[in-house]
Amino acid sequence: MSQNKITRRDLIKVFGASAVAATGLFGMSAKAYAKGANHVVIIGGGVGGSVCAKYLRFADADVKITMIEQNPEYITCLRSNDVMVGYHTLDELTFNYNTMREKYGINVMIDQVTGVDYDRKTVSTKNGEKVQYDRLVVSPGVDFRFQDYEGLSKELSDTKIPHAYKAGPQTLLLQKQLESIPQGGTAIICPPQNPFRCPPGPYERASLFAEWMQKHNPRGKVLICDPKDRFTKDGPFKKGWERLYGYGTDNSMIEWISGSQGGRVVGVDAKNMTIETDGDDHKGDLINIIPNQQAGKIAQIIGLTNHSGWCPIDRHTMESTLHKDVWVLGDSSIADAMPKSGYAAGSQAKVAAQAIADSLHGRSPGKAIYSNVCYSLAGENYGVSIAAIYEVRDGLIKPKGKSAGVSPITDKPAQPILEAVYQKNWQREFVKDVFS
Amino acid sequence: MKLKSLMVAFGMMAMALVANAEPKQATGQAMSWQCAPCHGINGQEFNEAMPPLAGMKKDEFVKAMIAFREGTRAAIIMDRVARGFNDAEIEAMAVWFEKQPAIQWENMTYVPTAGGKYEPK
Ligand SMILES: Cc1cc2nc3c(=O)[nH]c(=O)nc-3n(C[C@H](O)[C@H](O)[C@H](O)COP(=O)(O)OP(=O)(O)OC[C@H]3O[C@@H](n4cnc5c(N)ncnc54)[C@H](O)[C@@H]3O)c2cc1C
Repeated sequence: MSQNKITRRDLIKVFGASAVAATGLFGMSAKAYAKGANHVVIIGGGVGGSVCAKYLRFADADVKITMIEQNPEYITCLRSNDVMVGYHTLDELTFNYNTMREKYGINVMIDQVTGVDYDRKTVSTKNGEKVQYDRLVVSPGVDFRFQDYEGLSKELSDTKIPHAYKAGPQTLLLQKQLESIPQGGTAIICPPQNPFRCPPGPYERASLFAEWMQKHNPRGKVLICDPKDRFTKDGPFKKGWERLYGYGTDNSMIEWISGSQGGRVVGVDAKNMTIETDGDDHKGDLINIIPNQQAGKIAQIIGLTNHSGWCPIDRHTMESTLHKDVWVLGDSSIADAMPKSGYAAGSQAKVAAQAIADSLHGRSPGKAIYSNVCYSLAGENYGVSIAAIYEVRDGLIKPKGKSAGVSPITDKPAQPILEAVYQKNWQREFVKDVFS
Repeated sequence: MKLKSLMVAFGMMAMALVANAEPKQATGQAMSWQCAPCHGINGQEFNEAMPPLAGMKKDEFVKAMIAFREGTRAAIIMDRVARGFNDAEIEAMAVWFEKQPAIQWENMTYVPTAGGKYEPK
């Protein structure tokens, strides 16, 4: 098949009729595929899926790539905490798939995947499409376990007790609730049990709420009811809270109740705006329960999860250990020491993209090297971070060399100020790595 | 045995050997891709606080990374990152970054020739 002479019929053969119609595939850069070109299908156009699509294009110019995403636009969770306190708008965090299509020749289908037939290597969708694959990538994010809390449900989270742990309407609902807290009122944040998406997320949120209250509700208070006794970057976070919000004093704007102090929330009474914990009941003007989590629903439906509720993978490649020629990325995967972060999802996606290209061309992949850096804000100009490079050792993904570490606690004001600068630099750069 | 099936047999033996061996070092490209979320796609970000890596002289990259790793250069975060890489890995990344064009990534365009590649607009 000669370059640029790809016909509508060719495209339909490759991608299916409604895919061609729905995506305007004809508008993309004139990318022609050889007959019998390999087809990689990606479920989920979030961080893991999009980075994988793009870097697979870098690793293999000739492979056909189809990404199936249920929403026409993606709103990043990253920096969605900022939206609640007015440092960002949701619009600034919203991305479409035009560049994916035009610059990288990726066929983006807006549709929901409903099942996979592993024998026939076919993905089926809500709109009735059947898409054949040679390699399948699954990166569907997380699913929430509302059932772990008496009185909580998905409906309640959409209306009164938002988790705001997928960016969108719930982010704006929580923002409105923060603004509506009466003077001297209380915001309750209930982080989930490990493992969960964005381990510093709830604590960053508490920090930004406290900072917002300093300006708009100076007698207000943030209460964190935690099932855990430690949390990521707790050293630098608590130091930041001491410096910024009087943490540890009687007038602290943030109070943290750990698991052993009875902080675990077991139920909610939405009518009376009260949570029940292992310790006392607490009344709040805002209640933000971030439920326990498990692999994205579709990963469960198509049998990629084990007893833990997450997806086991070959640590060298991110290929599923339960189904052949299927890769699982990001939050849904069991990646040991790597946190469930966007940075980690992107890192895994790059390793997987190379491994998939290698597998299609009969090459053996090199040693897997992963990375993660999570920047959080303890205040608008006060950053804290955790960073590590990872390798596979003794069958597990572990920090490589002496790389793992959190921000040092020093008396130099430059450290947290520069980390906040880097945090903003990182966010701009990261979304480019995913979507530009 | 025909030549072709002999070659196939040899090929399979070679693959079996590779499969049993320790995986080889990650390529310079694979490791360098990991730097993109801060330093830009292929290190091609020229407008931010975190410095561009595309086109950086190899020796400069190696010197900087080793200084970060050994703690002889002040750092906010790069000391923690550099401690994850040995000399050979740093060298491989340095070689790869030196070859990347010193052009902002947004100014690169896809050229759909056979094999496909990205070139300056
Ligand atoms: C408040 C908050 C702040 C955060 N801040 C940071 C940060 O600063 N840095 C950082 O690194 N990470 C951060 N994260 C974490 C980051 O957002 C996630 O780790 C990352 O998005 C995981 O990528 P993923 O590909 O696994 O899932 P996602 O990015 O969630 O992508 C999953 C995609 O799959 C789609 N999908 C699911 N099921 C189907 C189906 N059946 N058919 C079609 N499509 C489907 C979804 O619509 C979605 O677009 C934050 C998270 C939160 C909640």
